[in-house]
Amino acid sequence: MATEPADVLIIGAGATGGVVARRLSEAGYRVVCLEQGDWHDKEEYRGNKLDWELTMRKQWSTSPNVRGLPEDYPIDETDAEISPLMFSGVGGSMLIFAGAWPRMLPSDFRVRSLDGVADDWPLTYEELRPFYERTDREFGVSAMAGDPAYPAGGEDPPLPPLPIGPGGLKVARAHARLGWHWWPEPNSILSVPYDGRRPCVQRGTCQQGCNEGAKASTDLTHWPKAIAAGARLITGARVRRLETNDAGLVTGATWLDRDGNEHFEPARVTVLAANAIGSARLLLLSDSAAHPDGLANASGLVGKRLMMHPFANVGGLFEENLESWQGQFGCSIESFEFYETDERRGFVRGAKWGLAPTFGPINAALPSRAGTQVWGPEHHLHVRSHLGHGANWGLFGEDLPDPANRVTLSKTMTDSSGIPVPEIHYRVSDNSRRLLDFHIQRASESLLEAGAHAVEVDSLMRYSGWHLLGTARMGDDPQTSVLNRWNRAHDVPNLYVVDGSSFVTSGGVNPTSTIVALALRAADHMIETRFDQEVPA
Amino acid sequence: MSGDPLSDFGRPERAAFAAVADHLIPAAHDMPSAGEVINDTRLRFVLRSRPDLVEPLRAALRPELGEDPAQRITRLQADEPDRLAALQLAVVGGYYTDAHVRELIGYPGQEARPVDAGRYPEYLAEGLTDQVAARGPIWRDPATGRRVETS
Repeated sequence: MATEPADVLIIGAGATGGVVARRLSEAGYRVVCLEQGDWHDKEEYRGNKLDWELTMRKQWSTSPNVRGLPEDYPIDETDAEISPLMFSGVGGSMLIFAGAWPRMLPSDFRVRSLDGVADDWPLTYEELRPFYERTDREFGVSAMAGDPAYPAGGEDPPLPPLPIGPGGLKVARAHARLGWHWWPEPNSILSVPYDGRRPCVQRGTCQQGCNEGAKASTDLTHWPKAIAAGARLITGARVRRLETNDAGLVTGATWLDRDGNEHFEPARVTVLAANAIGSARLLLLSDSAAHPDGLANASGLVGKRLMMHPFANVGGLFEENLESWQGQFGCSIESFEFYETDERRGFVRGAKWGLAPTFGPINAALPSRAGTQVWGPEHHLHVRSHLGHGANWGLFGEDLPDPANRVTLSKTMTDSSGIPVPEIHYRVSDNSRRLLDFHIQRASESLLEAGAHAVEVDSLMRYSGWHLLGTARMGDDPQTSVLNRWNRAHDVPNLYVVDGSSFVTSGGVNPTSTIVALALRAADHMIETRFDQEVPA
Repeated sequence: MSGDPLSDFGRPERAAFAAVADHLIPAAHDMPSAGEVINDTRLRFVLRSRPDLVEPLRAALRPELGEDPAQRITRLQADEPDRLAALQLAVVGGYYTDAHVRELIGYPGQEARPVDAGRYPEYLAEGLTDQVAARGPIWRDPATGRRVETS
């Protein structure tokens, strides 16, 4: 048991835990992190092994409910139309994310002002831009400057863009004919050697761990530096609850080791970095007489407004073999042509498109996400027409916040430590459905213009909850938000939540670059206000 | 997994597996059937990779479901879809991890193809990003609510 309180205790060693740990430990803070998972080695990843497409459906699934590993906690998703995806371990869900790294756009921070729905953020794109630039350097982002979907100015990306591949080139040419936007996708995947890491080899297995270490994850990019600066990272540590004192300050966390032994880690400041489901769960678990509805929940909003980005897939099939099983999964190209609101479309906001690879033969042979299955003699023709011949537009739509979409604690299910599991309640809104239907039509036109002879649509992928957002939103008003503009809890002055929980609205882009930029901004703020920080006696 | 996963499968189950494999992926279009391809080595590979498949596969191959593979599949589809999914995955997994099959379909596996970042991309040579840039900014300015005007 620790006796001397940590300056900062971080719960979760994923994307934001790593960013905050590195920043604070390099600034001289005594940092302790509790992580329920473990370290993973590049050799464990199956992308360069024959069983890749078999194990991606179980041991290396992106769903904790499918994996069912000891470090995973189950999630009751029976009342959800989308399954949340995540990974427990050092590096967190970055180990299995695609690596796409777009920023949110200026309008994303002003949805209420511009479109009359949801809420505005308490900060702007311009305020966040310096932090985007710093985290781009920390993670090693490959991108091309000059994208007219974003304001001009600022630093150029640190690394040149990754190749767009034959499928990307076909679609780029099609968009040139259509007069539609496209641009090489920014990815947190190295195009050249950087910071001691090797560059991408286009294996196309990013979502089951990168064998090269080319895809950024904080176990590679941040934790070694944080630990060198003195941070202490405890793995196999499952937090049961945060403890508070009579003054309403967090005093630390009670946690269980792999053998079920209970420990208490005291801290002056506590930072939740456990994703928008895990952090909300912990806040709700940390109820007390003073906080009967859960910690930091005077607003009643903890767990509410869960956003997960409903996702549709539009796949084009081409006569040519594009070898589309290869290439970075973080996307080759993107399009923001239909991102901004146009009320004539019958919905507000929009979606970013990202063009992705198409996996190997087992994926081509099995029943598709849309339910298509071909057996018998025609099976061979089906596989030949699909394997390597596809280009897939992935469509992320803005997911407007709805208090009914929420995380609660299960009254019936517990994890292997006996702790109540999170229960997800989530419905796709009418706006999202109309938005996706419109974008499916436009993306189909894109692929047909590119030469696709057929287009296959999955109009809502169940296993697509990669982006977990909004369950402890930030804002200036404590009555309508959980966190302030610096990710600090309104109700608990020594508690920060730095993961995607803080999102006010979801934007329509992959959120990790915004999540980590906000986390770095929060860490800077902790340092700047360190002498004013309230801590337990 | 310790031991041989095939020890859980007797002759009737193996025969049922081969029948289903041939039914799902028969010899056609210059490709061999799955029953021909998936020998003990291949099936053992699948089940060692995915030990969780052993139990549903054994259930899907139980003799009570009859000898006709089409009927077996229909019954599984109706009443035990998860077991049918396990059976399909075992067949497909065994077939498409076979080296000869991969050669026939022109799939070399996920290869390491290092990025040549110094190579001038075709899209630049064709001026494709120049065209996008020339059309001007498309982001919406929160100050005006409209797309930014090209200066």
